[in-house]
Amino acid sequence: MILIVDAHNRHHHHSVLDEMFQLRARVFGDRLGWDVRIEDGREIDEFDALDPAYVIGLDDAFNVVACVRALQTTGPHMLADVFADILQGEAPLRSATLWESTRFCVDTERLAMVGRGPGSVSRATCELMVGSLEYARSNGITDIITVIDPVMNRVLKRSDNAPYDYVGATVQMGETKAMAALLDCTEERIARVRAFAGIEGPVFVDEGAMMAARLRQAAHGDSLTDYLIDQIDAATNPDELEAALALVDAVLGPQRGATGEAQHSEHTPDFVR
Amino acid sequence: MKPLDLGAEPDDGSGTLAELLDRICARYGLDYIAYAGINTVDDSIHGVVNYPDAWKSHYVEQGYQLIDPTLIAASRSVGLVEWGRLRDFDSFRRVFRDAAEFGISTTGLTIPVRGPFGDKGMFSVVSSHTEEEWQRLRREFLSALQTEATLFHDRVMREGRSMKIMLQPTLSEREREILQWIAAGKSQFDVGVILSISTRTVEVHLRSAREKLGAMTTPQAVARAIGMRLIYPI
Repeated sequence: MILIVDAHNRHHHHSVLDEMFQLRARVFGDRLGWDVRIEDGREIDEFDALDPAYVIGLDDAFNVVACVRALQTTGPHMLADVFADILQGEAPLRSATLWESTRFCVDTERLAMVGRGPGSVSRATCELMVGSLEYARSNGITDIITVIDPVMNRVLKRSDNAPYDYVGATVQMGETKAMAALLDCTEERIARVRAFAGIEGPVFVDEGAMMAARLRQAAHGDSLTDYLIDQIDAATNPDELEAALALVDAVLGPQRGATGEAQHSEHTPDFVR
Repeated sequence: MKPLDLGAEPDDGSGTLAELLDRICARYGLDYIAYAGINTVDDSIHGVVNYPDAWKSHYVEQGYQLIDPTLIAASRSVGLVEWGRLRDFDSFRRVFRDAAEFGISTTGLTIPVRGPFGDKGMFSVVSSHTEEEWQRLRREFLSALQTEATLFHDRVMREGRSMKIMLQPTLSEREREILQWIAAGKSQFDVGVILSISTRTVEVHLRSAREKLGAMTTPQAVARAIGMRLIYPI
């Protein structure tokens, strides 16, 4: 399942984001050896402060198993500002209908490396791709430029989702290499990836149900928590949901990790998808 | 901060920026467009709308720009903001109950634009079509509206003196050589063959080059690129 988190709902998803930043630390810091800054087991950079949109893959138990970060190429983004090596000093592409995706990663430790069924790396990758492409497409975006390593590039090629081209050069980055690939957000590509991985129906998660389930998992089965979950379930409009979640925060303490997430927890309106 | 109304400012061509919005509305079958931009370089807020004057002054008198959920949402959003998702919020009801009295539809969406220097634009489009018709138009025109929103934002931002210098278009070698071949009369397909790249790659670079040059069409982009001596006249 896919969850989209951006500036408007991130105050509801501190624990999901915290898991995501830990996954990024394991993948980009430990496994790929990229030159990323890791603090307290979380990889967070300056682009995370720019209100990006995160496309997050969750398994059946709502654990984070994959993620990617989207930014407009019209504004500050990584290829323009920090991946200059890849572009070999050239100016970056800048287009209203082109989004940049970075920090694309999948939890290869939690998932099975073989096969393409549920619970496999291949399935999680494809679902994340479908979620990203569909989210971009629903915004009128026609193409995505994505910074990936050669392993992810092979995974894309193998899953009938090969980039149609690359920009700049493949350059050494830490222990592995990085490249910028172009993907079109066409219905044809989405259909191909869905067919390859056997993904049918909507990939996006029901946000309310997901939050209640994660709360239930973290709870100790006491009646107070049950009451709070009931309040979330009973919410029929965004204002009521906001009130229910504020109550959760007030009673249980903010559901956030130790990553400085608190600074983002001001009550911006929640735009439930 | 009180927004600066740029509606009467001239656009690049013959009319005003508000008239430019009228033309965009006519092109896509929209009622109104409201643009709000934040220039972080010279710290100013700009507004251009083609709403009826009565609603425009009521909106500013009530200070609705401070609570308008479409603006607040879009200012921190990557994706577009569908008004349908905001309808249940109190702030939306307050602003749009008033809007309805002035005959403004509550069907629409806001496209967030981000510029390279932290500048932001919020481009709201209003439609009075039926829900079904709106969904169809939306699908058909969304990519084009994304582009219109960015071009409009860049145009407004370029008016700031400090931005004028910073927003000089920087084309990559690939963008430049594609424009050069187009100027030489080659089709996009031809250019792909000449450079051994896919037509889609030609298209994505060309689109980027057009937008950097503030051009709606490829011929316009070629003309501007020659004018700026980025490519050679042939």
